[in-house]
Formats: sequence, C-alpha cells, structure tokens
Amino acid sequence: MAVASVLERLKVRIGVDRPATSATVEAGHLKRFAEAIGDPNPRWLEEAPPTFLVALAPASYHVPEAEEFGKGWLNGGNRFEYLEPVRVGDQITATTKLADAYEKSGSSGTLLFIIFETEFKNQHGRRVARLRGTAIRR
Amino acid sequence: MNLKVGDEIPELVKHPTTRQLVQYAGAQGDFYEIHYDQDYARSIGLPGVILHGLLKAGFLGQLVTDWLGDRGTLKTFEVSYRGLDVPGKPYRCRGKITKVDGRQVELEVWGEDEGGQRTTVGSATVEMAS
Repeated sequence: MAVASVLERLKVRIGVDRPATSATVEAGHLKRFAEAIGDPNPRWLEEAPPTFLVALAPASYHVPEAEEFGKGWLNGGNRFEYLEPVRVGDQITATTKLADAYEKSGSSGTLLFIIFETEFKNQHGRRVARLRGTAIRR
Repeated sequence: MNLKVGDEIPELVKHPTTRQLVQYAGAQGDFYEIHYDQDYARSIGLPGVILHGLLKAGFLGQLVTDWLGDRGTLKTFEVSYRGLDVPGKPYRCRGKITKVDGRQVELEVWGEDEGGQRTTVGSATVEMAS
C-alpha cells in the first residue's frame, strides 16, 4: 500500500492516548533486565537502570495499519527524561500517545516514521519519567 | 571532581551473543522475530538477527552510570540508531564531555562496531551532586 494512504490513517490518531498500562517494579524483573544487559552494578537490584522503563511499557508500538507499508520495523531512537528514581515496589502507570507520523525519502527508498510519547507516573501520582520512541517502517 | 570539555569517559566493550539477544528479548518483553529468528530476519532483507536498539541503549546507559556512580544524577539520555549490529562482534561504547555548566554536565555518547563506525549516537545530561 502507498505510504500516503497509510500516513493519512495514522495522522488521525495523532495526540490520541492508548489505554494506560500499569505494572509493579519487581526485584526479579530488575535483576533479569540488568543481567540481560550484562550490567553487574548492585545498584540495579533496588533501582531501575536508565532504560528499564521500556520493560514496563513499550517505547513504540508496531501499529497494524503501518504494516501495510514496507517489509519490517526498525527502532529509530529513544529519548528518556528522568524526573524521579524508580525503585523496587513502585507501581508505575504508563500512558502512551502517537505524537507524529511522517515519511522520509532516502537512498534506500521511502521510510515511514512514527513517533510515540509515553509518560510514566508512580503510585503517588508523580511523574517519574518521559520517553520518546521512534518506530521506522521500511 | 575536575570535569573538562573534551574529556573522554572510560570506554565499555560489550560482546553480545545470540543468547544475550534472547535473554534481552525476554527481559524487555520485545519478541520481534528479527532478534532471534535468522530466517525471518533474512526474509525482510536483514543480514541475519540484529541487536535490539534498546539493548545498545542499555549498554550506553551502563557506560554513563559506570562513569557517574553516585557523584550525580542522570537527567536525560537520548540515542539514535544509525546502523545495524549483529551478535558475535564486539560493540565498543564511548563517550566524552561536551559541556560543563556549573553542576550540569553534557556528554556525547556513541557505540562503535568492529570497523569503528558509529552505529548508535546519543547524548546524556547529568546533574552533579554539590
């Protein structure tokens, strides 16, 4: 399907929140995450390492509408902004919205960019982090 | 503490394996097949399974927090994925200080493949403890 018609369908969803997701930061999950990165810092037994929040809510979504264009997905980039530390036992609620969608043409053809923004709040209702993710459809 | 613009921070060299990709897929909950299914990865034009961008971000996060320790707080961390990386090759994480403004310090961070090409580029801002 042409990129233009896919873009048209994505654009009407810009600014719309996805359903919020909620998760508790578990000690075992933190440990497995740090082990998977290969980071032995004992600090991460209690506190979330810099990229852990993506294990609670995806930084970007593989939206089915976009899959009508191109062959596969790539992650274009991620930006984290930290407001408060996230620790074991915290109950984190994530709300993600589609922030932008656009096309870019390069030497390898046309690429479709979809930008997501997620806000993370803790059990006290305080914002702990913001995350921006760029999904690329190629 | 004496931080100067242009100073490089200690580098971190990672040796990702396909096993680690599976481990990371499970820990993050990202089960996109390009990270563990060779046939699927090749079927969409990739050289084979590739590293998760966010695993490379995790490596660069470790680079920054290893250097920073408890001397300050990470405020922002941003990465942009410019190239594909495959398991079985070393991944070299590096960074240098680009700005010092009182307690605010900015760093440029990047990950290099075996050939020295910067396949991930990014930045971090930290606030040093007073």
